[in-house]
Amino acid sequence: MDPGFSVDDIAPIAILMDELRSEDVQLRLNAIHRISTIALALGPERARDELIPFLQESVDDEDEVLLALAEELGMNFEEYIGGGENAHVLLGPLENLCAVEEALVRDKAAESITKVSAVLSQAQIEQYYIPLLQRLSHGEWFTLRVSSCALYAPVYDRVAPPMQDELRRGFAGLGTDDTPMVRRAASKWLAPLVKKFAKQHVLTDGLAIYRRLQADDQDSVRLLTVDDLIAIAQALSPAEVKEQLLKQIRQTVSDKSWRVRYMAASNFNQLAETIGQDLVREELIGHYVQLLKDNEAEARTAAAGQIPAGFAKLLEKEVILARIVPCVRDLCQDSSQHVRAALANQISGLAPLLGKDSTIEHLLPLFLHLLKDEFPEVRLNIISKLEQVNDVIGIDLLSESLLPAIVELAEDKSWRVRQAIIEYIPLLANQLGKAFFDEQLGNLCMSWLGDNVYSIREAATVNLKKLTEVFGVEWAKIQIVPKVVGMGQHPNYLYRMTTVQAVSVISPSLTLDIVRGDIIDTLLHLSNDPIPNIRFNVAKALEVLATTFGNTPEGRQLVQQKIIPALEILKNDTDADVRFFATRALQSAHGVGA
Amino acid sequence: MPSDLDRQIEQLHRCEPISEEDVKKLCIKAREILIEEANVQTVDAPVTICGDIHGQFWDMVELFKVGGFCPETNYLFMGDFVDRGFYSVETFLLLLALKVRYPERITLIRGNHESRQITQVYGFYDECQRKYGSSNVWRWCCEVFDYLALGAIVDGRVFCVHGGLSPNLQGIDQIRAIDRKQEVPHDGPMCDLLWSDPDEISGWGLSPRGAGFLFGADITRRFAHDNAIDLIARAHQLAMEGYKLMFERTIVTVWSAPNYCYRCGNVASILELDENLAQDYKVFAHAPSDVRSIPAKRPPADYFL
Repeated sequence: MDPGFSVDDIAPIAILMDELRSEDVQLRLNAIHRISTIALALGPERARDELIPFLQESVDDEDEVLLALAEELGMNFEEYIGGGENAHVLLGPLENLCAVEEALVRDKAAESITKVSAVLSQAQIEQYYIPLLQRLSHGEWFTLRVSSCALYAPVYDRVAPPMQDELRRGFAGLGTDDTPMVRRAASKWLAPLVKKFAKQHVLTDGLAIYRRLQADDQDSVRLLTVDDLIAIAQALSPAEVKEQLLKQIRQTVSDKSWRVRYMAASNFNQLAETIGQDLVREELIGHYVQLLKDNEAEARTAAAGQIPAGFAKLLEKEVILARIVPCVRDLCQDSSQHVRAALANQISGLAPLLGKDSTIEHLLPLFLHLLKDEFPEVRLNIISKLEQVNDVIGIDLLSESLLPAIVELAEDKSWRVRQAIIEYIPLLANQLGKAFFDEQLGNLCMSWLGDNVYSIREAATVNLKKLTEVFGVEWAKIQIVPKVVGMGQHPNYLYRMTTVQAVSVISPSLTLDIVRGDIIDTLLHLSNDPIPNIRFNVAKALEVLATTFGNTPEGRQLVQQKIIPALEILKNDTDADVRFFATRALQSAHGVGA
Repeated sequence: MPSDLDRQIEQLHRCEPISEEDVKKLCIKAREILIEEANVQTVDAPVTICGDIHGQFWDMVELFKVGGFCPETNYLFMGDFVDRGFYSVETFLLLLALKVRYPERITLIRGNHESRQITQVYGFYDECQRKYGSSNVWRWCCEVFDYLALGAIVDGRVFCVHGGLSPNLQGIDQIRAIDRKQEVPHDGPMCDLLWSDPDEISGWGLSPRGAGFLFGADITRRFAHDNAIDLIARAHQLAMEGYKLMFERTIVTVWSAPNYCYRCGNVASILELDENLAQDYKVFAHAPSDVRSIPAKRPPADYFL
């Protein structure tokens, strides 16, 4: 070390180096997360000349530490080494990180290089970045070549045309690499690169690279080309797509590997929107139907998930009726519940496309069928999307089947199913209307208050609050409040607790009159409950009432006359937790009273 | 202290470990509270009784979803908080933080896995090393283990213990005479309480576990009669249906680790005793996989794909 430095100058980097050499991974990790501080302490020049070279040699460490290093160097680290004109210095350590075995580290390093590239000038790119890219692309070990694939797109549009020619050639080379890992990376990164190509180069180089990858003998390479296909199609006119890509589209959709078909099915909407209506109608519809009938349940599930949003809306109603609806009918009977669940989630979206009469004729029987499915998730999915159906045909036609389905879900033995249906109740209430709701579902909502699972009781109180917001406070006063208050008499403390907690949850949506007339006495009565848990939850509920209603003169009167005296008693309770929550509530109550 | 603790409880409830410094303070505080408790801690009904958890953190969260969280619901956990599951650290520290924050609302008693020897073999030690980079947290937790009560009695009528009875103990009063603040011994009454199992035999039998004993219906009935108790609640053995009543309902095994070791396919249960000691067994299944994250394994190297 230069003897000209004082001890103070040496300290930061010496400590860092010590910690980076520590046996303890955690210490090394902490040290890496602090390198920006160290760099700041050293100043730009020494950070460049000492810290960066040191880090460049530190790549022989645990992956966790390397990952942290790769990340730190991408977080505007150039600010610590003298700004953008020195940013290329960071490429050194990052290049080394691009070579390690752990894919996570390499990906992070490539990501950081991409970030660094954004602050490089064109001269820096040509002088430092391009040579780095070439070294990686021709690296002997495959990890280097894999990393290089990600690094073409960020700079392609920032170099001169001759260099662009060279970059396209370089990437084409990676697309024909001997190692499948490299070809896979090329498949993955072709799409972002193609987006930067001029049209003529999409047609020449882009298409050529894509076609080779799309015909790769490894399905793990082929399945990544679906994105490339979409990227290229976006750059071309429908006529060009038809001329250049039709063969590839056909091959991808009917690939012998289901993983490739699955990818195609999952991205069908995007593909359909990209290639335009005409081609969808003459060509893609057939492939889509084929995927809906695929042998593999995964592919059918993915295809069923794409039905209305992007795809069916590009078709004429007659075509939907003639080609899609028959498949949908078959999928309703599918042997896999995942397929049926995906379908149930999407089928309602067809209703607006078909209009009222056709929906009633063709879809209604399917809705009703799915509402009786043996798997709760299928039924839940139908119910969750009921709004769209309601808009088209009204809910009356469904209600006869809907109610038994809801009731059955409401009594399902899995509490998570019960919870899911509770969460849809406010939505249903909106569509069914007050009278129908009271008659058919009111009791159900109240019965959840007595469910034997805590989370359901909790969800039930939240549901009642939302219903109050839908139907209004007068409705709540008559339909909800008496039943909630009634639970306060339950012999088991866990159910009396429901009353107390429901008061906390629902009261903010009620009026002071109702609280004063129908609720407060029950609460005060429960403040003498023999079980301390009830008493301290009463204290919490009183705190909610005080903060909610204490902002008006009448409200303050309630706080002064009823709430504070009750809390004063609870403040001297025999139980420590009751005293704690009562004291806290008193502070809030006095706060609003002041 | 409460606000700091409340924050730690929130953090642990998200399954995020708290700092080593916080663990140290928490353990010291917990010891101060536990040292005041009796070997057989007196508990008031109503209370919800739980069996083995074994580091299955997300399944314990499921338990709280079914039973309600502490302090709203009173809890009594009958040991074996740690080992085997992925999250022994978060599981035990959450329970301990609740104990320190609400000492009257939750009772923790010792299981055979709350021991230095056992935790070094079955995972808790390694987990502390991995998550904190040193064995400090394990050491402090083990010191807390030594202070945990050996049993509890609810309203004088329900005796709760991790394992079972001991041929050296006829009365609950004799348990009170044990000096419990030590590592679990290899034999003797303290060991038996944490290791024994009921079995369809008469009298006492040798335990295949190599510690504790097997005890039959006659022993169980005599103990219940002599000590004027209605029920012995214990954990320690997997019950596929979540709980198992034996000997004309004088003893029950409560098991609270659903899909034990993430592979047994069993359901779990908790026992809610209401204010009149009426028993209500709540059965629950393991947390759905989107809730229960399994710690990310390192993805296999690229060239194996």
